[in-house]
Amino acid sequence: MSQDKIGTDQWVEQYQGRVNRRNRVALLVDRASKRLPVWAWLIILALVAATLPLLTSNDLVIRIAGNVALLGALALGLNVVVGYAGLLDLGFVAFYGIGAYAYAYLSSNFIGIHLPTGITLIAITVISGLFGLLLGLPSLRLLGDYLAIVTLGFGLIFQQLMTSMTRVSIPGQPSPVNLTGGPNGILNLDPIRIFGWTASSVTDYYYIMLVLLVVMMLVIYHLYKSRLGRAWSALREDELAAEAMGMPTRRLKVQAFATGAAIAGLCGGLFAAWQGSVFPSNFDTNLLINLYAIIVLGGLGSLPGVLIGSLVIVAVPDVLRNADLAGKLFYLGAIVTLFGALKPRWQTPLLLIAVAVFGLIVKFIILAIPSLGWAPLPPVGSAYLDVIHSWLVAPANPVLTGNAGNIGFAALLILGLGVTRIKNTWARFVVLIPTLYLLVFVWETRLSQEASVTRLLFIGVLLIVLMIYRPNGLLGQKRVEIV
Amino acid sequence: MPLIELQDVTKRFGGLQVVNHLSLGVEPGEIVSLIGPNGAGKTTVLNLITGLYRPDSGDIRFDGRSIVGLSMHDVTRIGIARTFQSLRLFLNMTVLENVMSAAFLRTHANWFDIIVRTPRFRREEAQIRQLAEAKLAFFGERLVGYRHDQPAYSLSYANRRRLEIARAMMTEPKLLLLDEPAAGMNPNETGEVTELIGKLRDELKLTIILIEHDMSVVGGISDRVIALDHGEKIAEGTFDAVATDPLVVEAYLGHDERHNRK
Repeated sequence: MSQDKIGTDQWVEQYQGRVNRRNRVALLVDRASKRLPVWAWLIILALVAATLPLLTSNDLVIRIAGNVALLGALALGLNVVVGYAGLLDLGFVAFYGIGAYAYAYLSSNFIGIHLPTGITLIAITVISGLFGLLLGLPSLRLLGDYLAIVTLGFGLIFQQLMTSMTRVSIPGQPSPVNLTGGPNGILNLDPIRIFGWTASSVTDYYYIMLVLLVVMMLVIYHLYKSRLGRAWSALREDELAAEAMGMPTRRLKVQAFATGAAIAGLCGGLFAAWQGSVFPSNFDTNLLINLYAIIVLGGLGSLPGVLIGSLVIVAVPDVLRNADLAGKLFYLGAIVTLFGALKPRWQTPLLLIAVAVFGLIVKFIILAIPSLGWAPLPPVGSAYLDVIHSWLVAPANPVLTGNAGNIGFAALLILGLGVTRIKNTWARFVVLIPTLYLLVFVWETRLSQEASVTRLLFIGVLLIVLMIYRPNGLLGQKRVEIV
Repeated sequence: MPLIELQDVTKRFGGLQVVNHLSLGVEPGEIVSLIGPNGAGKTTVLNLITGLYRPDSGDIRFDGRSIVGLSMHDVTRIGIARTFQSLRLFLNMTVLENVMSAAFLRTHANWFDIIVRTPRFRREEAQIRQLAEAKLAFFGERLVGYRHDQPAYSLSYANRRRLEIARAMMTEPKLLLLDEPAAGMNPNETGEVTELIGKLRDELKLTIILIEHDMSVVGGISDRVIALDHGEKIAEGTFDAVATDPLVVEAYLGHDERHNRK
């Protein structure tokens, strides 16, 4: 009977299939996560990560890996507040700072207290959680943007206070007291000591950060798959409905704040111990932006997403310091982007061949006019770069090369914007050829020469491209506002 | 003794008298429909009962005790659940999570239980999962099987209305407030909802206050109908009596202007 069909929505039935087709990465992660329980995956991850110090003796690499784990754990805490409970907390870094300074007070000669590490870390977690409660209380009445502004203010105030509280008059004290060490920070903190073992090398701290990350992932996964996680999600989705369904929304909000703050505090304490010192500049807005980039890049609310986001945001800038690696990443990124953006797929190889031919023609023409003074770029001793350098032509004078790079950069921006406006497939194909040539030209003559600027530019472009093709982040679930 | 009783309740928004000295009572096991033209104050009555608004004067008594001033979640705790006229589901959560989330007040796992996954936590979790599945099974095959793990936003409109009712049922209420449960449904689905509301009373012994514009629903299941206009009760009684009441007809259609002009 036709009545049976009512409400059986075929669109809904095929829903999961369509999601899977659209997001293959998410599908793979989804399948993998169902094959083994979460703790098993975490153990595998930890074991794989633990072999890193055996593979390399390069302290820099291990330090970067430790940073990835630390910021990953920190971003997990932010994810609880922003991704789960939906509270836009821009003062999060302050709790990280509170944890770090608490560690400094409790384990250095600054006050002269040297507590055992275990007790210190517990105390730090509790203290930061309490500060989270404190900030959570006035935030109860605030929604969305207003909450963001208030918490941002809190973060800035924290940094300012830590910088300037160097001469504070306290009743009963004859002279002003230095409470925070000011911009010079607090130095010579105790290292981590657990059961008579003292962390001394980069590798030791790498393992500590790894344990921190794995424990945090497990804790947060469990929290998410519980009554508390469901209530936080409900709060994010619809506060009024959550309240009407019996969830004490005010208490839940404060709890989310405090949980995030406690996690941040613990991370901050470990950070301080690792660095051996704390400075106000460790807790600036840059760090906040990086953290948000991590969770947005990975996909709000996704646990493996945070890991990937942290890997990209923390590791990529450091990798880019090396010109050879940076070049590889750049060209690989460009080709992958082309493959993703151009359909049908065979257009990409054709385009690359066309660009190569175009470059040869340009080279032939320009070298035929000797009065210009242009020549192929000098070889640098890296096989693939030398091929590109002999293919490209630029002014022989290094100063002029830089200028040509600047002019090329401006032209590239205009051409690039033009390409995005062209709808006709073949017209776009033709315009893309000189655009790509110009891209290589600008990279080789200008960008690869100034690693510090390029790093930021590179990350910016990476984020923009990623957000265009994956608006919900790498592993994020689609989220709707109103349907 | 009535399960819920409004005693001379008044609510003003600025100069606008939305609910005006309204008194009504609902006996246990009864289905009472509130009808009236748009803006008559029907939804405001629900909002007053659930604690979203506080009455300016008068008292609201549930099970013999006053519930004025209780927060919304406390009102839910003592056994009043509602659905919303403009559907307020947790759209980005799965169907099952939507229902399970409404068990918050009756679950007791603390932080330690949750993080360590104690047996107590697992037991409780399995329990509410089972309960939630049972609530969803109440709607026949509409919300079972593969739909459990789908996000709520992927549901059809009618299924969203059903899910809202299931979520409200999960709080184990004694009194269920339904705000236009048949809005946006086709005649077949409307018939189904009517049947369902009857089932809620007969099988689960719920007391129900229903706001509905669709008179086939109101006429089909109401034990009693109360008509409101400008926040005042203008008629009360069986559906047939209220539907033919001249005041009610006038509230819906306006009085005949031609007679006045002469």
